[in-house]
Amino acid sequence: MRTHSILFNLTLLAGLILSACGGQADSPSGAEEVTLSTSGAFALYPLMQRFAEEYRAVHPEVSFDITAGGAGKGISDVLAGATDFGMVSRELKSEETERGAAGFAVARDAVFVVVSADNPYIQQIVARGLTTEALNKLYITQEFTTWGDMLGDPSISDPVNVYTRSDSAGAAEMIAKFYGGTAQEDLHGIGVDGDPGLLQAVLNDPLGIGYNNLGFVYDFTAGTPLAGAVVAPIDINANGEIEEHEFLETRTEAVEAILSGDYPSPPARLLYVVTNGVPSGATLEFLRWMLGEGQAFVNEAGYVLLTDEELAAQLAKLP
Amino acid sequence: MARPRNDEELKNKTQARRIRQDKLAARNYRLAASLPLFLLLMMTIGFFVRTQPIFAQSSIWQLLSGTVWKPSQGQFGLLTFINGTLWVTVLALLLAVPPCILTSLYLVEYAKRRSLGAILPAIDLLAGIPSVVYGVWGLLVIVPAVPKISSFLSSWLGRISLFAATNPTGYSVAAGGIVLAVMISPVIISISIEVLRAIPEGLRHASFALGATRWQTVRRVVVPRALPGIIAAVVMGLSRAFGETLAVMMVVGNTPQIPHSIFDAAYPLTALIANNYGEMMSVPLYDSALMGAALLLLVIVLIFNLGAALVLVRANRRAKV
Repeated sequence: MRTHSILFNLTLLAGLILSACGGQADSPSGAEEVTLSTSGAFALYPLMQRFAEEYRAVHPEVSFDITAGGAGKGISDVLAGATDFGMVSRELKSEETERGAAGFAVARDAVFVVVSADNPYIQQIVARGLTTEALNKLYITQEFTTWGDMLGDPSISDPVNVYTRSDSAGAAEMIAKFYGGTAQEDLHGIGVDGDPGLLQAVLNDPLGIGYNNLGFVYDFTAGTPLAGAVVAPIDINANGEIEEHEFLETRTEAVEAILSGDYPSPPARLLYVVTNGVPSGATLEFLRWMLGEGQAFVNEAGYVLLTDEELAAQLAKLP
Repeated sequence: MARPRNDEELKNKTQARRIRQDKLAARNYRLAASLPLFLLLMMTIGFFVRTQPIFAQSSIWQLLSGTVWKPSQGQFGLLTFINGTLWVTVLALLLAVPPCILTSLYLVEYAKRRSLGAILPAIDLLAGIPSVVYGVWGLLVIVPAVPKISSFLSSWLGRISLFAATNPTGYSVAAGGIVLAVMISPVIISISIEVLRAIPEGLRHASFALGATRWQTVRRVVVPRALPGIIAAVVMGLSRAFGETLAVMMVVGNTPQIPHSIFDAAYPLTALIANNYGEMMSVPLYDSALMGAALLLLVIVLIFNLGAALVLVRANRRAKV
C-alpha cells in the first residue's frame, strides 16, 4: 500500500516536471506565460472574448480569464487590483479617474429598448414607436403605468411591467440619460441581475419592457433580434410615426443607425477597457493590439468601429 | 544529553514533558478557540470605522428610517432594505418551519429506519446545492408561478393588503421567500433529526408502557424534550436565510420600496451590497453607506441570535423541570 502511494506520487511528480518542460518548449519566443484577467460590462463581454481568441492565436503564451458582471464590477475589480482590465460601458466618472482608472475606448455600441414579440399591442408599438418623453414618464417619474399611456390610446388599460438592471450597469446609466435622468438609481422597475437576465424577464412577460446591449438583443449568426424579442422603435423626431431608419429590424441596420448618428447617443456609447494606472508589460501589449490589429475584428464581432480621430486619441493615451 | 540513570528519573522527565505538552496544547487551542470571537470583533470594528464618514453626514436615525435611496444625491435611506430582509426571511421561516418539523418527526418517530436512511442523503444533498442553482430554479419555475398563486390567493384574501395582487411580474417577496424556504429546509430538517435521535429511547418506551399512543408520546414526551434543539435548528435556518444573497437577488425584484403585500417586489440588504459594490469607487460616501448596510445586517443577525439564545435558555430550564 505504502510503496504503491510513493510510486504514484513519484509518477505524478515526474509527470508534472515533464509537462512543465513541455510547456516551456511550446512557447516559441520563450516568453513568460501570463494570464490577463478581465471583468465587467456585459456589453463588451462578447467582443473581449473574440479579442482574446484572436490574440491567443498570435500569442499562445497569454491566457485570458474573462467574466461579465456589469460595468460597476469591472471598475471596482480593476481599481482593487483583482483584475488586469475592467470593461466599462459608460463614461468614466471623475471619482474613478482620480483613483487611477485609465480608460481606452475599443469599440462603440448602443442600448436598445426591448419588448416581447407576444405583446398584444406589438403592431401599434412598431407602427407608432415609443417616445423618449413617454419612456421618461414610465421609467423615471412613474406618471405612465399602462400601455395605453405609452401608445396614446386610453382604451388600453393593460399595465406596463417595467424591468431594469439590478447590478450596477453601464447600460442602465446610458438608458437613464436617454430617458432624461442622470443615473441608474433614477430608473424604477423590477430589478433583474445581468443583461441576459433582463432579456429573459422581458421574453417571459408579454406586457414587459426592458433594455439590452446590441450584442445581447440581436442574435449573432442570424442578425435579427432573438426569437421572442422585438427592438421597440423609438420615435426620435417625435412626428408620431416610425420611419424606415427608426425601425431597427436587423443588427446591420442597428450598426448603421449608430454609425450615422440616426440612433442617438446616449444610448449609443463608447466601450472602454480600463486599467489601473498606466498600463505596462503584457497588459500594455494586449491594449496596443486591441487598438491596432484587434480593430479588424470589431465589425466582424458585430460592434461599431471607432472613428479615425477617436482611435488616434486612444493611441495617444498609451505610454 | 546524559542518559537518565534510573527509572525514577526517567519517569519524572516524561511526566514533566507530558505536562509541558499539555500546557502548550491548551494554550494553542485557547488561541484557536478565541479566533472566531476575535474575527467577529475585528469585522465589527472594521465596518464601524469605515461607516464613520456617513455618520458625519447624517445621523443613525436618518439612515435607519430613511426610505429614499439616491446615492448620487447623498441620500442613503436603509429602511426599505431592512424591510426587504425581514419580509423575505420571515416569509421563508413561516413556509419552512412547520413542514420541516413535521418531516423530521415523521422520519424519526414514525418511519422505518430504512426510509430514514434513504431520505437523509437526499436532504444532505439538497443542503449542498450551490445557491445559484436554487436561483435559476427560482427564475425558471417559481417566478412564473407566482402570478398564478397571487391571482388565486387575492381572489380569496384580496381584501387583506398582505395578499393583494399588486405586481403582475412574479419577481416578489413571495418568490424570494419560497426559494429561501426550500434552501433552509435541509438545514432545519437534518439538525432536527439529529436532535430527535438523541432523545433516549427509554423515555419513549416508558411512555408506551403507560399505554400512551405514538402521537401522545410525540406530543407529551418527545417534543417538549427536543424543543431547545428544534429552536436551535430553526435559528440555524434563520441565519442562513438572513445571509443568503444570490438566489434571493435573482427572484426578489430588487425594487427599493417597503412591501405591503407578499407579492410586492422588495430589496434585501444582502442584495443591496452585492448589486452595488460596483458603485463603491464612483460615488462619494457610497462605500461608507454599504459598509453601514453590512454592519446593520451583522447587528440584525446578532439580535436574532441573541433572542434565540434567550429562548433556548428558557426552554432548557423548562425542559429540566
